Amino acid sequence: MGKIKQNPFVKKVGFNRIILCFVLILMYVLFCAATQGNFLGMSRIMSALNYVYFLGFLSLGVTFVIATGGIDFSIGPVMFCSALVSGYCFMNYHLPMGLSLIVSILVGTLFGLFNGYLVAYWSVPSFIVSMASMNIAKGLASVFTKTQSVSWPQSSAEGGWYRNLVKVGNIPVGLIIFLVVAVICAVLLNNTKVGRYILCLGSNKEAVRLSGVNVKKWEMIAYVICGTLVGIAAIFYVSAYTTVQPGYGDSYNNEAIAGCVMGGTSMAGGLASISGTVIGVFIIALLQEGILALGFTKDYQLIITGVIVIVAVCSDVIARRRKN
Amino acid sequence: MSKKTANMTGNKSMIDRLGGQKFIVLLVVIVLFAFFNIASPNFRRYTTFVSILDYSYYITLMAIGVTFPLITAGVDLSIGTGLICYSLMGGYLIGFCGWPVWAGMLASVVMGILMGCVNGVLIAVLDLPPFLATLCTCMINRGIGSIIVGGFGISWPNLSAPGGWFRNIFKIEINGTLVPIGFLWIVIIVCIMAFVLNHTKLGRYIIAIGSNKEATRLSGVNVKFYHIMAYVISGFFAGLAAISYSAIFSTVQPGTGAGFELEAIGGAIIGGVSASGGVGSVFGTLVGVFVICLLKTGLPFIGLQANWQQIITGAVLIAAVLVDIIKKKREKK
Amino acid sequence: MGDVILTMKEIDKSFPGVHALDHVNLEVRRGEVHALMGENGAGKSTLMKVLTGIYKKDSGTITYEGKEVEFQNTREAQEAGVVIVHQELNMLGHLTVAQNIFIGREFKRGLSIDDKKMNEETQKLFARMNIDIDPTETMSNLTVGKQQMCEIAKAISHKAKVIVFDEPSAALTETEIEELFKIIRDLRSQNLGIVYISHRMDEIKVITDRVTVMRDGSYVGTLITKDCTKNDIINMMVGRVIYEDPKSASTVPEGAPVVLKVEHLNAGNMVQDISFELHKGEILGFSGLMGAGRTETARALFGADPVESGDVYVNGKKVVIRTPQDAVKYGIGYLSEDRKRYGIVVQKSVAENTTMATMEEYMAGLFINKKKEKDTAQKYVDALATKTPDVDQLVVNLSGGNQQKVVIAKWLTRNCDILIFDEPTRGIDVGAKNEIYKLMNQLTAEGKAIIMISSEMTEILRMSDRIVVMCEGRKTGELDIAEATQENIMNLATREIS
Repeated sequence: MGKIKQNPFVKKVGFNRIILCFVLILMYVLFCAATQGNFLGMSRIMSALNYVYFLGFLSLGVTFVIATGGIDFSIGPVMFCSALVSGYCFMNYHLPMGLSLIVSILVGTLFGLFNGYLVAYWSVPSFIVSMASMNIAKGLASVFTKTQSVSWPQSSAEGGWYRNLVKVGNIPVGLIIFLVVAVICAVLLNNTKVGRYILCLGSNKEAVRLSGVNVKKWEMIAYVICGTLVGIAAIFYVSAYTTVQPGYGDSYNNEAIAGCVMGGTSMAGGLASISGTVIGVFIIALLQEGILALGFTKDYQLIITGVIVIVAVCSDVIARRRKN
Repeated sequence: MSKKTANMTGNKSMIDRLGGQKFIVLLVVIVLFAFFNIASPNFRRYTTFVSILDYSYYITLMAIGVTFPLITAGVDLSIGTGLICYSLMGGYLIGFCGWPVWAGMLASVVMGILMGCVNGVLIAVLDLPPFLATLCTCMINRGIGSIIVGGFGISWPNLSAPGGWFRNIFKIEINGTLVPIGFLWIVIIVCIMAFVLNHTKLGRYIIAIGSNKEATRLSGVNVKFYHIMAYVISGFFAGLAAISYSAIFSTVQPGTGAGFELEAIGGAIIGGVSASGGVGSVFGTLVGVFVICLLKTGLPFIGLQANWQQIITGAVLIAAVLVDIIKKKREKK
Repeated sequence: MGDVILTMKEIDKSFPGVHALDHVNLEVRRGEVHALMGENGAGKSTLMKVLTGIYKKDSGTITYEGKEVEFQNTREAQEAGVVIVHQELNMLGHLTVAQNIFIGREFKRGLSIDDKKMNEETQKLFARMNIDIDPTETMSNLTVGKQQMCEIAKAISHKAKVIVFDEPSAALTETEIEELFKIIRDLRSQNLGIVYISHRMDEIKVITDRVTVMRDGSYVGTLITKDCTKNDIINMMVGRVIYEDPKSASTVPEGAPVVLKVEHLNAGNMVQDISFELHKGEILGFSGLMGAGRTETARALFGADPVESGDVYVNGKKVVIRTPQDAVKYGIGYLSEDRKRYGIVVQKSVAENTTMATMEEYMAGLFINKKKEKDTAQKYVDALATKTPDVDQLVVNLSGGNQQKVVIAKWLTRNCDILIFDEPTRGIDVGAKNEIYKLMNQLTAEGKAIIMISSEMTEILRMSDRIVVMCEGRKTGELDIAEATQENIMNLATREIS
């Protein structure tokens, strides 16, 4: 039985984070070189940031779920559902913008509640709940908007102030908000009772239950946190892309999970890193932009992202095996 | 010790446990069918019946295939986009490379098998969590399919075109009426796969892996091989499903396919396959898939559009799993 | 005893940082039952894993049937006739008994598996061993004891010449142990070589011919069972005599109040109409065989499992306990049987595990006061003499006994007045055992009350003030320690209430 001297989590994540930053910088340099300097443009960075925002919130959210040992790939469709429902309320029911934004967050939270309730209180396997939620979200969005797409207002139009959440002039306000929320999430996960319980129950649910903790409640809360963050993601999505169509959203699931997993969060549960997730998200966003910049289509993005996630998880598995 | 009907050819325990569920689901199918028949006169037409079957083939084939990974306590999420990818591949070879139709069909199936191997290796050898590995291959399938056809839809040959004979595998016109003989093949395939699952080493070891992988390994069984085979079977059937999909639909579009796996997996689970592994029945899957197909084709007849069908399918899946969970809880007492 | 069939000589094996086997010797003869004993971590399992090819030895030789061998995997060992019956059952719950026994070597009839023949062969095998189990029964429907019988039958069906039993009696009822011994004696008379790994001194005395003792990876020596005493063996295991006599009389003061009263508790088959009382400062031993329902009773009492009916009074007041949270609220703590599965959170540190049950006390507003956590954890590490480099060490790296101490610390932080210890010293070496006994006595001296569930007779007799005996879900008797003997406890533990 090999004794590990130091807390391997700290060691692992620390090491990982350095590697990830290195990868990020390396990628950036490579892309610049490959596009002969065309990559450095401000518009590119802005475009990448747009992607980072909503994907970032999705990844942050799903980190909490994966930390409990579960999975949620309804996040993409739920984000779209939130965007569609709240946008429809704004456009057709003339709900003030502020309230519409709250509706978006509410929809996400409700789905989180739904998922969390079924997983925690009824022990339905999380991937089944995800699959069902995914479909229900897509269907619900379609029904609510009567299968019409929804366009959110421009910054000049009425209610357009929400765009200031993303960008004021050239200041990337969105980035600031994202990082602040990320810090809040990190503190939540590592320094509060919520986070402690979530991580512990991801590692050994029964032991925590027998310690007198209401595991069902805390497991559900992980999903609710995820749902809320998904609702917030929706706001950033529409700020960037304005029009939302029902029936979409699947692809973002994988990328969000990719960002999370690459950052060192273990799929087995119990081990999670918010900082890792943040860096992971930047890597994925950079990758997407870089691939486009090199002239490849979105299809190549899909393939490469898929391969990268596989490699990332493989290295996690190999690292764990070596420890044993 | 209670005296159960000792069926000396074994497996009585699984039948005991599943016979109940299959029966219930069969009843549900009959009830649904009756309901739609009563509720909508249009539904009662023969053409509707044929159409239900038409649209069921690809889901049924996918479901039969995915039953095997599910029994190993895994899952294959790549079958949906996989189906589209293999179909696009085959169609491309036929339409743009001049391959004969049978070669295109073979290509689809071979691609399915290859992807199945990839999934199998990732999961059985590299130890990746099944939903993650197949989620990635799902993305990769989507990308590959789209790249091959350059982003445009593809059609396999029509009935009238040379090579269109393959559509007759599933449906023949005899004296003016359409006969859905595809269903005959499905029944035969189900019988074969049920035999494979319950009476061959392949099936037995796949069940054993789902029941207790480590114990199976310690018993000297080549667990890696059989675990991979479960995914190869799933890939193979995704390939077959691709053929049936191309035969029924006129055009295959890249970028679609995500969501098909829900119907296939949902059908299998409704039919009694346990997500935690070790339990499953091919017949049950068949019946479970029919619930999904009936809902899918029947709901529009009572005025509910596709979006409602999505919601209901999701709800039905959850209901089916809840029923299974509640039953297990009650059994424990 | 016949000639030597298996010799393991100077076996050496190291893992990073651990010298697991240091020139260990073992010699097994045909027709003998050879015990392999040692504290936890002595290397018994490791030695057997080297034998069957799960681990590769660094040096040394294994001679089997006169030839030098090195099995590459369990299958090879099996085919040569060397089989282990493991402690953790390796069975496939969803398959039938016959399918389990013949997994990997099914009879074929053309393309299909001949299940009929498998069932017949299994029936024949069971008849030879006097086992009464239906081959077509699903494995998961059998009791743990019966499952183990199947496991043993499976090992025997491999035409084994050497069988290693790793803690076989842990999950068996007294009757089943008798059946097991009958089978072992039978195998011995068939000239098989049998290795019997067990902690249970009494069984060693009954069934074995020789005893080999290991300590800290080294070979200490081999004794002939009938020529040695328990103390001799323990001496070799720990290097000092620890064995003490049973408690002579209850140490509970006269008139001590009743802190816990359970009346007519019902929770399924395993908990039928259980009633008892627990006094302040008392250790109430719960004795009985495996499957008697003691853990089930504890879990039902603690709210870990659903309860059908019954009343529970804490300090005279009636309480309703539906979840572990409720129980904890009323000052009850529960140390479960299987600490790896139910006691510790492996990915977390000693400090984090210690505070698991009392998180509210370490909160500073919304945040966790990690310094306070560590200080408290350190306090308990010192108090309980837990061997760990620091409180940030992951519990998975500690040995069994020290992990147990962390779990105990968790409940101590809660300041529970009523503690339920379920097999507190299982899988723990003799040295650590004594420390836990000392701790328990300390706790009761402070006025806490302890329910101690144990399957070790000596432990029950040594620690309890009173003993409740259960059998097949019912309470069959209650004894004061002064009148308790192994015999009358065993009598009550095996008596069936008609």
